[in-house]
Amino acid sequence: MSSVDRDARIRGSDGGFVLALVVLMLFAISMAGGAGYLVVSAEKRMARFSTQGEEAMALARGGLHRFASEQLGVVVDSVVYAFGGGEARVSARRVAAVDAGTDMYFIRSEGIVVDPLVAGSPARRVVGAYAYHRKRPVPLHAAVVLNVEDFEVYSSTDVTGDDIGGSECPGGTAPSITGAIAREDVQASGSLGGSPPSELWPGGRAQFLSEIGLRWDVLSDPSFPVDFEDVPPDWSSLPSNSFPVLRVNGNLNATPPWSGRGVLIVTGQFDAVPPFIWSGIILAGWVDDRIMGAVDGMLVGGFSTNEPYDAVQTRGPIRYHSCNVSRANASLAYLELIENTLFELD
Amino acid sequence: MRASTNRGFTLVETLIALVLSSLVIILVSTTFLVQNQYQASQVIRAGVHDNARSATDLVVSELRSSMRDGVILAGNRTLTVRSPVALATVCGRSGFLGTVVDLHIDGGLAGIETGEIAGAALHDSSDGDWWYERVDWSFIDGGSVGSAARCANNGADTVDATAHFHAARRFFLVFDFTSTPDVGDLVMLFRETRFTIRPSDLDTSSLALFREPYGKPAVEFASGIDTTAHFQYRLGGTSYQDTVVTASVGAIDAVRIVLNARRRSESGTGQDVTFGWATNRHLRNAP
Repeated sequence: MSSVDRDARIRGSDGGFVLALVVLMLFAISMAGGAGYLVVSAEKRMARFSTQGEEAMALARGGLHRFASEQLGVVVDSVVYAFGGGEARVSARRVAAVDAGTDMYFIRSEGIVVDPLVAGSPARRVVGAYAYHRKRPVPLHAAVVLNVEDFEVYSSTDVTGDDIGGSECPGGTAPSITGAIAREDVQASGSLGGSPPSELWPGGRAQFLSEIGLRWDVLSDPSFPVDFEDVPPDWSSLPSNSFPVLRVNGNLNATPPWSGRGVLIVTGQFDAVPPFIWSGIILAGWVDDRIMGAVDGMLVGGFSTNEPYDAVQTRGPIRYHSCNVSRANASLAYLELIENTLFELD
Repeated sequence: MRASTNRGFTLVETLIALVLSSLVIILVSTTFLVQNQYQASQVIRAGVHDNARSATDLVVSELRSSMRDGVILAGNRTLTVRSPVALATVCGRSGFLGTVVDLHIDGGLAGIETGEIAGAALHDSSDGDWWYERVDWSFIDGGSVGSAARCANNGADTVDATAHFHAARRFFLVFDFTSTPDVGDLVMLFRETRFTIRPSDLDTSSLALFREPYGKPAVEFASGIDTTAHFQYRLGGTSYQDTVVTASVGAIDAVRIVLNARRRSESGTGQDVTFGWATNRHLRNAP
């Protein structure tokens, strides 16, 4: 055998043996990898499916709470919220009228998380809850309700709880309400009307908040959605029968451009300059000690813990207008989830 | 050169080749068998994990729906909980003294299993509590005739949903004569489920988780539970305890399910496959 042939045989033998070892090792590695993948993928699939169920539940709950918190005025039938990992389909149905100012709704929310890589996708969870629809959230206590010690109607000024809406309102003239409410004293150099003309709430801010019953913390929260914020709307572009909700975050010295209708929420101090006139409801953190504008509806002030004035005097007319108040109240209607009723459907 | 390449293998070469081939075959087959056993054990392990997870998921799904005062028995290996089959609101009343009440049930009776109903509960809107009473659905079922129309008269939106309205009766016998619910009141039709960890009927060497709806036989739905499995309860604070006396079950605000799963080795000589699994669930049981 030549040296060349011997070398060739040796190379051939070495090559074949190495190949066998490589095949063996590859086989062992692939088997181990396959077994590992089986376990890991099963675990991952279970964990992911379980996580998606939890996500779907969170979406359903989140959608339901968001829906309830966003309904201002008329309750919409259904809405779809798109979230990062999926969506929530929320629908509402009126199921009863509890009383003249309150309806009961059933809210259904379906959370859906889609992931085509997971068996059983999409994950769905459905929750339901009942809610009161407070159609007239501002109670009809008086034309002027102020959380101050003394309130005075200046000479030649008119404050009344007698309905001035009269024939303008579909239901005709409404029953009279109180003219003005303050903590310790209500005086009138001008005209003060209503049934009765005045009333005292000596219980201070606690009684004020209890009697009014509004969630001021919600209404004054900048994240709470309103129709217009911090700037007056272009009234000519709005339907004449619309009563929007406006909010001013801070103080407002209302001038004629602000004149309009609806609900005006002022989180700080409210003051007005003639010929400002508002048709509807004004809710204020507190009011200036001398109010100059006119209100055909209701003025409610004193929600804030800041009470800079002991006495407030009005030099502008504030007169109860039943249908302005009714329409403004309808714009402010909200949903209130009933405690301990949220449950899982399906 | 031709003579050299055509010559046969020598005996020594053949023996060496046979030995090497045998070694390779033994190595390969051993590797295959070991991997096969490993794969089988991992499949078992995955099954054990799945068993523990699905068992706890089922318990949790009923726990998370339970309302105030939903836990009625809290033992080391027994947990009895009430959860809603359906929540309904009263939208109409009829009959003598208004003792028949019309209910809105989302999806109607078609959407619920009436056989699971163990009783009814009235909602106290002043504090959110529920007043539970056991009663068969057949005793209070008032049929569906006219319910939707009566509810529509009271302001309900019944369009495309007449099947969602159903009547119930005899509430004054279930609760008391002054407690027939009025329009706007909430009624819960609840199930009452007892979860028990006890020796399996299918595999006597291990424990199992049983689900026992009120008035019905227990069903074993998760076998292979380790003897360490148990329930624990939190009454506010951070610590958990194994049992809670009946007088204090209303204060339970969380349940922990410790459901270690175990499966015996296939070979009988290998180690058992175990999986320690525990899950905590916050409840609305306590005020």
